[in-house]
Formats: sequence, C-alpha cells, structure tokens
Amino acid sequence: MQDSENNILLIGYGRYGEKIARFFNKENLYIVEINEKNLQRARHDKFEKIFLIEVGDDETLLQILSQKKFDYIFCALDNEEENVFFTITIKTFEKNIKIIAICESKESERKLKLAGADKVIDTMEGSASKIFHLIEKPAVMEAIEEILFEDEDIDIREVEIPKNSFLEGKYIKDIDLKKDYNLILIGIIDKERGNNFVFITKGINHKIDAEDILLIIGYKEDIKRFIRDLKERE
Amino acid sequence: MNKLTSLLINLAFFLEGSTRYKKIKQFFYNLLENEHYKYKKYFDYMMMFIIISSITIIIEEVDHPIYYWLNIYDIYIVTTIFIAEYLLRLWVSDDRRKIVIEEFENSVFLGTQFNTKRVLKRIWLSIKDYILSPFAIIDLLAILPAYREIRILRIFVLFRAFKMFRYSKNTIQFLEVITSKKTELTILFLLVLFIVFISGVSLYVFEAKTNPNVHTLLDAFYWAFVTISTVGYGDITPQSNEARVFTIIIILSGLGLISFFTSIIVSSFTEKIDEIKEAKTLTKIDRLSYYYLICGYSHLAELLAQKLKNEKKPFVILENDPDKFEEIQKRGYLCIKEDASKKEVLEKIQLKEKVKAVVCLAQDDIHNIFIALNIRSISKSIPIISRTFSKNSYKKLELAGVDYIVSPYQTAGLMASKIITQPIAVEAISDILSKKKNAVCDEVEVLKNSFIENKRIKDIELDKYKLILLGVRRIDENGKKFYFNPKDDFVLKEGDLLIIMGYSISVSYFKSLVIESSLKYARFRK
Repeated sequence: MQDSENNILLIGYGRYGEKIARFFNKENLYIVEINEKNLQRARHDKFEKIFLIEVGDDETLLQILSQKKFDYIFCALDNEEENVFFTITIKTFEKNIKIIAICESKESERKLKLAGADKVIDTMEGSASKIFHLIEKPAVMEAIEEILFEDEDIDIREVEIPKNSFLEGKYIKDIDLKKDYNLILIGIIDKERGNNFVFITKGINHKIDAEDILLIIGYKEDIKRFIRDLKERE
Repeated sequence: MNKLTSLLINLAFFLEGSTRYKKIKQFFYNLLENEHYKYKKYFDYMMMFIIISSITIIIEEVDHPIYYWLNIYDIYIVTTIFIAEYLLRLWVSDDRRKIVIEEFENSVFLGTQFNTKRVLKRIWLSIKDYILSPFAIIDLLAILPAYREIRILRIFVLFRAFKMFRYSKNTIQFLEVITSKKTELTILFLLVLFIVFISGVSLYVFEAKTNPNVHTLLDAFYWAFVTISTVGYGDITPQSNEARVFTIIIILSGLGLISFFTSIIVSSFTEKIDEIKEAKTLTKIDRLSYYYLICGYSHLAELLAQKLKNEKKPFVILENDPDKFEEIQKRGYLCIKEDASKKEVLEKIQLKEKVKAVVCLAQDDIHNIFIALNIRSISKSIPIISRTFSKNSYKKLELAGVDYIVSPYQTAGLMASKIITQPIAVEAISDILSKKKNAVCDEVEVLKNSFIENKRIKDIELDKYKLILLGVRRIDENGKKFYFNPKDDFVLKEGDLLIIMGYSISVSYFKSLVIESSLKYARFRK
C-alpha cells in the first residue's frame, strides 16, 4: 500500500498497535515499546525493527528519530496518557513530523491536539458511530464496509488534477464520470475556495482547476484508467 | 346427588370445550386485571369517575335534598356496576372448571368414585380465597352503602374511596410497601394495644371515682390512646398525682412508638425504592413500540446512548453496577439495574416483543458471550451486536450468536492504514458516519408502487435531488447482494435498498417523495 521508502514509526504494540502494524509493510515499520511483554509479542509476530525504551528516556528516542526519516509516527499505546506524553515529547524534538495518535475519549482528543498531534483517531467515537449505523441503518454500514474494506476491487481515491488535463477549466455539472469511467464523484477540494473539502451533493457548480483534488469511488481498474487519461488526454 | 354430579361434570367439559366462553373470560380478565391491556386504563378511568360521583352525591345528600334521578343513579346504577364488577372479578380470579375436570380425570384414572363433595369444597375454597383477599373485602364493603336504611353503613362510603386505590398503580405499590413490613407493624400494633390497655385500666382504677370526665373504661382507653399517640386533645386529663406520674411514662413510651412507626415506614420505602423505580421504568418501556437494548454501560455505551438520544431513538440500558446505574439515571436514560445474563430480566423487559436490536457492551468478552447466549436462548432472530476486546474472542462470540462484532482496535487499525494514503477519504467517511458536516449516508427502500419501482436508475435522475447513489442492496433467493455503483439501465425492484449519500435535507426529501408516491397509489386504488 505504501511506497517502499516511506518509513513509519509505531509507538506501542498493545491492543491498538498490533492491529495497526498488520496493515503496514514489515520493511518500513519501526516499533517502539515501553513494555517488555508487548515487545516480545512483536518479536513473535516477526517484526524485526523493534526498540524498547523507558518512558522519559528521551535520549534513546531521539537517537531512533535521528537515524531514520519517518513520514508518520503513530502514537498507539493502550494508555492514553502515555500517548499524550509521547506526542508532546516528539513534537519538542521535531515540529514537522506528522503524528497520528489514538485516543478513546473526547477529553484525550483535546489534549492530544493541544500536544500537537496532526491527526487524532477517536476509536470509541468511531465504534459508537459504527454500532449506531449497524442497528439503525444496517444496509448503509454493510455498503460502506463493502466499499472500504471488503471488496478488494473497490477503492476510494483522492485524485489531483494535473496541469493541462482534459478536465481543467470544466464545470462539475458538465462532466459525467459515471458514464465515461463508471466512477462516483463524492467531493472536491477546490483550491480557489480555500482548502476545504466539499461534498458534491452540496450542489455548488465548481470549476475544476489544476491541483484541485477529486474524491472518487470506483473499481480500481476504472480509477487507473481515469488517472491515466488525466495525465495523457488534453 | 347423582344428577348434580353429572351436571357439574358436563358443565365443566362444556365450558372447557367452548372457545367463545374462554374468549369472553379472557376479555374480562384483560379488562379487569391485565396491566398491559390497552383498554384497561379506560375502564379504570370510568370506575374512578363513578366512585367520585357517588361520593360527591353522598356528601351532598347530608344537608341537601337530592335530585330524583341522581338518587336513582346512585342507588341503582352505581350499585349494579359495583356488584357486576365484584362478580366478574370473582369469576376471572380462578378457572374453577379445571378443578372439576382434574378431579374427574383423577377419578377415571384411579377408577374411584367421583367425589362431588370434595370438588364442591375445593371450589368453595377457591371462592373463599378470593372473597377474603383485601381488595375483594374493600369491593364488597363499597357496595353496602346502597342499603340506606342502616345509617352506619354510610361510613362504608369511605370504602368507595379506598376502592380508588385499585385503579391506581402507585397506590397499589404503596400498599405493597406497607405490607412488606407486616411483622414489624404487627409487633407495633400489639405493643400499642398492650400499653393502651395497661394505661387505660390504670387511669380507670386511679380516677374513675374522682375525675368527672372518666366515667367508663372506654373513656380511659380513649384517653390512653390520645395520649400515647402524642395527639393529646386535653378533654380528659389526669387529676391525681399518681396518674400524672404514670402519664409521663406513657408519653415517653408514646414518643418511642411513634418514632418506631416512622422508621418502619421509612425503611420499607428505602428498601423498596429501587423496585418502585424499576416498576416505573417498566411502565415506560411498556409504552414504547420498539427500542434498542444496550447491555452494560461502558464508555462506548455512553457514546452510543448519546447518539441514539440525539436521533430520538428509544433505548434501554441494563447495568448491574450501582454507581453506574446512578450515573445513567442522572442522565435521564431508561435503565434497569439488572444483569443482562439472567433470563427473567429479558422476559420482564419484553425482549421478544419490543427489542429491535441488542448491543452487548459489557466490560469483558466473557460477559458479552454470556449475554449473547442468554438472548439467543429467548430469541433466535434479534440482531445482536457485540464489542470485543481480544482477537481470540471473535469465534466464540460468533458461536454465541452475535451477528456483528465491533472491535475498536480493529477499527483503529483500519483507519490508521487508510489515513496516511487517503486522509481526505477517511475524513469524508467519518464525517458521513458522525454527521459532522450534515452529510449523511442513508438507505431508501423501494416501496411497492412508489415512483421508483421498476424504473431504471437513469430515469430516477438522482442528481436532480442532489443525491449520489453508492449502490443497491438486493435480497433474492441467493441471499443479500450489494451492487456497487449499478449501471444506468439497472432496474429497481420492490424491496431493494438504495444506498444514497447527500445532505440530510435532500435525503429526507427524497425519502418522503418515495413514501408519498407509494401511499398515493394505495389511496387511489381504494
């Protein structure tokens, strides 16, 4: 899923960490743990680049950070307070590094954001939403699961409009991605209107410029064809 | 005797065989005794009205002449209704024909003579049981004031007021609270009798000759009771020194008795307060047409409850822990302090009839498995959703009958994996799921005869409604199938679910159009 040179640092191999680790390439994944037991499990699961550090042992952490360039750091310890602590520690070393942190409540989400986390995943909120949809609108949930995770052929993709592509200068209402490419257009990030994501159903007739980003859902083949055409067709 | 015996047996079997008889009896039973019966409350209101009107008439009658027809109403109509009610209650209180049938079958089985005497005795015992029950006595006494010749019977008008208790659930609970302390109250009563007796006799002995107000033993007992209850009217007062010293002791013991009485009542209420609250919650549940059941109040349950509350969806929480129970109550959610792994609990909350889905959110997997098994033992079809903590529990939860398993860890993993490559997609999806930007995903059923039935996707022109079609879910003989982004010439059938995305206004507008067009067709056909 990732390009081969993207390195990721995962802090924590507890209940969250082990699930996250599964989605990434073993080559690029570095794991830091504070608990010997969890570290052993990581070793058992055949991860090689693993480090044990103590909470507050900033020197070792700094050493790990300076050795490699990490694109993303996950703070995914089971303990929320430790997540906040690691987030703030890393941010003091390096402001520009991207941190994605896991939390279980609104309270910690606020703290993590204050500590400087770029993205916070509130797992409980997500799960509550999921359960709510499962009981209220099960078909919707099944459809989303199918699209997002189960059907390997379907993908959601952000597609940036290249310069001089055939879509540049056209209006949203004039293009029919469904007819031409069998794709569903969900939303757009219009550079002209500020970097906000807008759902297509809002009904604003955007003019597509280069560097705008379209969010589309469709079969991988179709998406590939669309991207290829964007680059080639003028 | 023989004739009576055969009559009795024939009658019993005739009634047993008649569905109409049973139906009528069931109807009256529902009307009189069944709390869940829809129309019982109207019957109760009617009875309350009759009681209040009759009490008003009797009070009016004390110093005003009464209209002729009001008098007729009071003496004949009210009394007739009361008598009819009394007899009906007696009738539905037990199935007495079954006694006859049982005895008959026993006698056939054992080859003995049918014992008419014993049967009649058993029937009589069953009738007596009813007649002597407290409510039956009140009912009977309430009928008596109709007989105007004996003045004292008027007192029993008050029993008509008592009768009102019968029609109010709260007062029945109050009586239940009091009766739960029967032993203590009996002891108290005996104590009061004893002290009244001793002090009454002593006053009589000390002062019957000297005190002008004490003539009889009844005067003395009356004085003793007035004193002991700390009311102390003062119409009779002890005069001699001996009697006064004695009175001090009586007053002290009276204070003790009063506080004893208060403490009994208070403690019985604190003991029963949970039950009373629970009964209230159960009545509220009774009024719901459906609801979701949440077992266990974890952090996740709290968030879910909030979501359901925002959407005004009814739900009930089962939580055993007293601290958490209190917290839930403070938030104003419907909650029952019970363990969801008990069968009686689930029956009490009408799981089979009213619960649309169950969510197991207990503190650990073991408990969730237990709850799921318990629910499956009662209903095979209710959807169960459970949270899981450990990856090892998936199989077990599935075996226990859980339909959907939600793992926050798994969700976190999936989200984390997508968040790097497709941050906007993840954000968009989570916005849709949490309704942050007012954009929602919803399902729209293709209703019979609605304007979208048997139409091609192209012809519906969803973009006219500012909606995006993600897919269609269809159930056919091969089971559920999700058609992602169907082609323009895909034809919709009745029962298909359109999975659409859009702003909540557009979604609800489109939904209402579908429903309306289906209804219009039905009306047109009529």
